[in-house]
Amino acid sequence: MPDFSRLIPVRVGDWTAAGKDAVYDRKSLYDYMDGGAEVYLAFDFRQVFVRKYAGPGGKEISLDIYDMGSPAEAYGIFSCDREDPSVGIGQDSTYGFGLLRLRQGPYFMVVMSPDEGKDIDAAVLAVGKAVLPHLGPPGPNPPLLDLLPPDGLKTGRTSYFHSEINLNNRFFVASENIFRLGKTTECVFAEYGTGKEGEANLLLVAYRDAAGARTAFDSFLAAYLPEGKTTGLAKTEEGKWTFVRTNGRFVAVVFDAPSAKRAETLQAAILYPKR
Amino acid sequence: MTNMLTRRDFLRGTTAALIGTAVGGPGHAQTQDAAPRSRVILIRHADAVGVDSSFNAPVIAGMLDDAVTRLFDETDPVKAFARFAGPADIVGVKTNVWSYLPTPPEVEAAIRRRLLDAGVKEENIAFDDHTVRTNPVFQKSTIIINVRPLRTHYLAGVSGCIKNYIMFAPSQEALHPDSCSDLAANFFLPQVKGKNRLNILCALTPQFHGRGPHHFSRRYVWSYKGLIVGQDPVAVDSIGLRLIMAKRRIELGKAQELPPVPKHIQLADTRHHLGTSDPARIELIKLGWTEGILV
Repeated sequence: MPDFSRLIPVRVGDWTAAGKDAVYDRKSLYDYMDGGAEVYLAFDFRQVFVRKYAGPGGKEISLDIYDMGSPAEAYGIFSCDREDPSVGIGQDSTYGFGLLRLRQGPYFMVVMSPDEGKDIDAAVLAVGKAVLPHLGPPGPNPPLLDLLPPDGLKTGRTSYFHSEINLNNRFFVASENIFRLGKTTECVFAEYGTGKEGEANLLLVAYRDAAGARTAFDSFLAAYLPEGKTTGLAKTEEGKWTFVRTNGRFVAVVFDAPSAKRAETLQAAILYPKR
Repeated sequence: MTNMLTRRDFLRGTTAALIGTAVGGPGHAQTQDAAPRSRVILIRHADAVGVDSSFNAPVIAGMLDDAVTRLFDETDPVKAFARFAGPADIVGVKTNVWSYLPTPPEVEAAIRRRLLDAGVKEENIAFDDHTVRTNPVFQKSTIIINVRPLRTHYLAGVSGCIKNYIMFAPSQEALHPDSCSDLAANFFLPQVKGKNRLNILCALTPQFHGRGPHHFSRRYVWSYKGLIVGQDPVAVDSIGLRLIMAKRRIELGKAQELPPVPKHIQLADTRHHLGTSDPARIELIKLGWTEGILV
């Protein structure tokens, strides 16, 4: 990680760096955050640079720059909690109510104020823009995203992650790890849009090998979709369809499809690599 | 073993049953008719929090007095505090110092006042969070009081009284896997075991949502103006969870009613036997202001 303490301006508009900058690594991250550390450690997190800015009226802005090890991992942590609209800074960014989230190359940045208002909006975005030149060039997305069917895919709603922590915060499936997710698994969760085919969600998980995928497939069927034991397809309580399939080292589940046909169509459109 | 909860339970509308009434497993509630119930006081006051989010110290002190008095069925708050603290006691008060939503100093002051009134010596009272393991008063403590704000938590679902004792653990990291499922184990550490006397979950301005780990916005706190008080931390947290779920249902919709599943509350009951999470075994007494009470 570059020496951000030296590189990043200590003064941005009316806001000035306050207190001592800090850097935390995988071992010391728990000293910085209560309960959030696992979320970063589930990715290839390396270090985080932390600075506070003090501004008019005693208000505060916090700046966190996370070195996630690779652009794919930075995409992952960025993609998991997107709620706000894009703000067009850096490779990807969102802003809303005092919270700027941004990814650029291997870095994920959070600029946050607990307060709201036009002055806060301007200050938070100004800090983000001041940091951006020091984050280097953009980087590639996780290759697993290339397997998603493009038709109807809601842009800006796809999440990439490894563990059940992220899955359950993104789309709660079960309170136990029924997909057998862990550091060696890669997952994408994608939303498919309106249009005449209707909305649906797709979870695609890549395991290390076909045996791992099969174990997870069986586990999911037993725990979540026992009535789909023979076909992998079932209508669930809200009148929508869930369809699970395995393909080599992959498991794919379509959730909330409006019809069995839509679930089957979405499954069939996954761009699996040719074996 | 926890009762596994799936998305389909939400769709069936059985979430509350699985987290609440049936947390001990099917038939659990029905078998507990003769079992003692855990009393929890929910007290609220319309003037506890000002429009500028300031805390009203005299009102909050009165709320604590009324809650503890009712909790112990005593006639005044000094007698109530004297039920668990006295001149021979050394008292550690475990607070929470998270910068965005700490234990309010007004609540701490009210606790200190009543401990002194009950005869505890000034030098035998300590308030601490991160350094409880090395704090001399906590190391010698005969009783511990647990006081912290109610908020959601990215991993554990809810940060309440059970989670507040994580600072007693030799390794916090070891307690975070599986949604912090075994947090109740901290109540059985040598420094803590048998000492927990009073749990005060501050619901003055609870936080019901966060956008990602480590996030705080005043947008997601509200002036509920309440305290949830009891001797059973599991029962206290169960009421806190019910409140958070009700608020999320209103603000975020049914689909986001539950934060990440707070397994640790259920397991504090069924695995660690620390207290009860079963509403059938919780005697919830509501005092004071009722507007927007939600639970």
